[in-house]
Amino acid sequence: MANDRQQSQEQLPQEEPPPFGGSWTTLYVLVLFNLALLVALFYLFTRTFA
Amino acid sequence: MRPLDWIVLCAALAGIVLYGIWKGRRSRDLDDYLVADRSMRWHHVALSIMATQASAITFLSTPGQGFADGMRFVQFYLGLPVAMVVLSVTAVPIYRRLKVYTAYEYLEGRFDLKTRTLAAFLFLLQRALSTGVSIYAPSVILSVIMGWDIRLVILLIGGMVTIYTAIGGARAVDNTNFQQFLIIMGGMLVAFLTLIWLLPPDVSFVKALRVAGKLGRLNAIDFTFKTDAHYHFWQPRFWTGFNEQYNFWSGLIGGCFLALSYFGTDQSQVQRYLTGESVTQSRLGLLFNGLVKVPMQFFILFIGAMVFAFYQFTQPPIFHNPVEVGKILSSPRAEEFRTLEARYGEAFAAKRDEARRLMGAIDAGADGERAQAEAALQAAQQRGETIRADAIKLMKENDPEANTSDTNYVFLNFVIHYMPAGVVGLVFAAVFFASMSSTASALNALASTTVIDVFRRLVNRGESDRYYFIFSKLATVFWGVFAITFAEYAGQLGSLIEAVNRLGSLFYGTMLGIFLLAFYFKRVRGTPVFIAAIAGEAVVFACFFFTQIAFLWYNVVGALVVIALALLLNPFFRDREMEKGKG
Repeated sequence: MANDRQQSQEQLPQEEPPPFGGSWTTLYVLVLFNLALLVALFYLFTRTFA
Repeated sequence: MRPLDWIVLCAALAGIVLYGIWKGRRSRDLDDYLVADRSMRWHHVALSIMATQASAITFLSTPGQGFADGMRFVQFYLGLPVAMVVLSVTAVPIYRRLKVYTAYEYLEGRFDLKTRTLAAFLFLLQRALSTGVSIYAPSVILSVIMGWDIRLVILLIGGMVTIYTAIGGARAVDNTNFQQFLIIMGGMLVAFLTLIWLLPPDVSFVKALRVAGKLGRLNAIDFTFKTDAHYHFWQPRFWTGFNEQYNFWSGLIGGCFLALSYFGTDQSQVQRYLTGESVTQSRLGLLFNGLVKVPMQFFILFIGAMVFAFYQFTQPPIFHNPVEVGKILSSPRAEEFRTLEARYGEAFAAKRDEARRLMGAIDAGADGERAQAEAALQAAQQRGETIRADAIKLMKENDPEANTSDTNYVFLNFVIHYMPAGVVGLVFAAVFFASMSSTASALNALASTTVIDVFRRLVNRGESDRYYFIFSKLATVFWGVFAITFAEYAGQLGSLIEAVNRLGSLFYGTMLGIFLLAFYFKRVRGTPVFIAAIAGEAVVFACFFFTQIAFLWYNVVGALVVIALALLLNPFFRDREMEKGKG
């Protein structure tokens, strides 16, 4: 029983594609790109008004 | 508050309680009560996650921080989007595949019962105490600003939440969180627009920004990591950057570890995305949070910075906590305080003139004049700060027990004095909702862990689904009463409250270490993880008591110690556990 459970933990479900964006990788990159863009904008904001 | 404000506030509170009861009325079994039948769409999951994280203190303290310290607190959240991606890749598919009710259930299948119980116990301990504080903290501020009885405010917030959470479980929590979050953000947006509208006619939005920026309130990003040249790089004191609470590096790395711990191992958050209809819906909920959380925090801090800009042209009170001001004014030292208030008023008038001179210089494009006006404005600001510091010192001398930090009172004090009728009621409803949404998720999670990881696993196994369903409702009521009682007495705990507030960071690193081992190190067994978790917790407590390290780094330290030690111990215990298995 414990082995079954252990085994089932190793087998992750089939990847269902996201409803938009094509693939999950695209969405992950979008989130990280958004973060990088925000950091750049915050830096410009700080430089502009400081 | 005016009659319209009371109507808005009462209608909002009554409406949300009735809505929660109505939404949760069909809750009939354990699956529905604990994970809403895993039927929620991503936008519900996303807003419920955000409402859970944003407590009332977020909406009171954050603008206060923007006012007093500028925008740098936004860096605290920079690691969050990275954590959302990591959890979407790793945790969501695993939790969904196993159809667990709690994150700690997974640990038994992966390691053993004692590791699951340890993690569940750490969660129950820190979440039970912090839920009481999350009711107490806004209640203090509301009672001070409005003169309401604090016991009544605590009872009102705690009572309303307990009613709809106990009746409707996760379905009621997710649905009310969704509505509450929309109203909270709507209220903050209306407050922001009204604030811009309240600026003097000759002060445009951009000019107000320039004045706030010149006085150091728009400092969103700081890439520097300070070091102390008096020491060598191998000496811990060289790395003074680790002692700073908020810079880009602590926010990105420490913040990422904190977010991984909070969203990946804290049942109050895990339960939110377990209610998703599928892996896709849960993932989209987390990723949406990763997209909008940082700009949202920026916006709330920005409101504080704009309140600061507003008070460059309208005289602010010398101290923003009216109860403490009342105390000194009714004491024998009232006359000294009034003298300081008069001097503060004069300093303000001089500063306002310098601010207008700076705006004129910017308009004229005269660089020399602008530099002079900037320096004069900063000097005028410093004069005002010095007088304010004298007033605070006087309050402390008059009453050593006086609360001399007024950061949390700045925003609401501004709202009740300057916002129009209706908007005040809306902002107050937003504060109540923020407290209620995070408390509801916490009660729901505490009940789930009590029933699934303690009662059903350790105390009374093999009963019917209906039996555990009813027990879950009773557990919710129990934790609601516990949180209210703790909040009622929290004021008497003094500085312990601060410790309780940081409790999360004391435990999250260890919890994260356990879960990272579970997710990524398939060969590691239960006993070494258990020993490493105890040792990791000891190291984090040692950091807390004996070092100056900023608390965000505790999450990194705790997680790394647990992982390293478990990997080190694993070969010894692996042999033993295999022998045991053979025997």
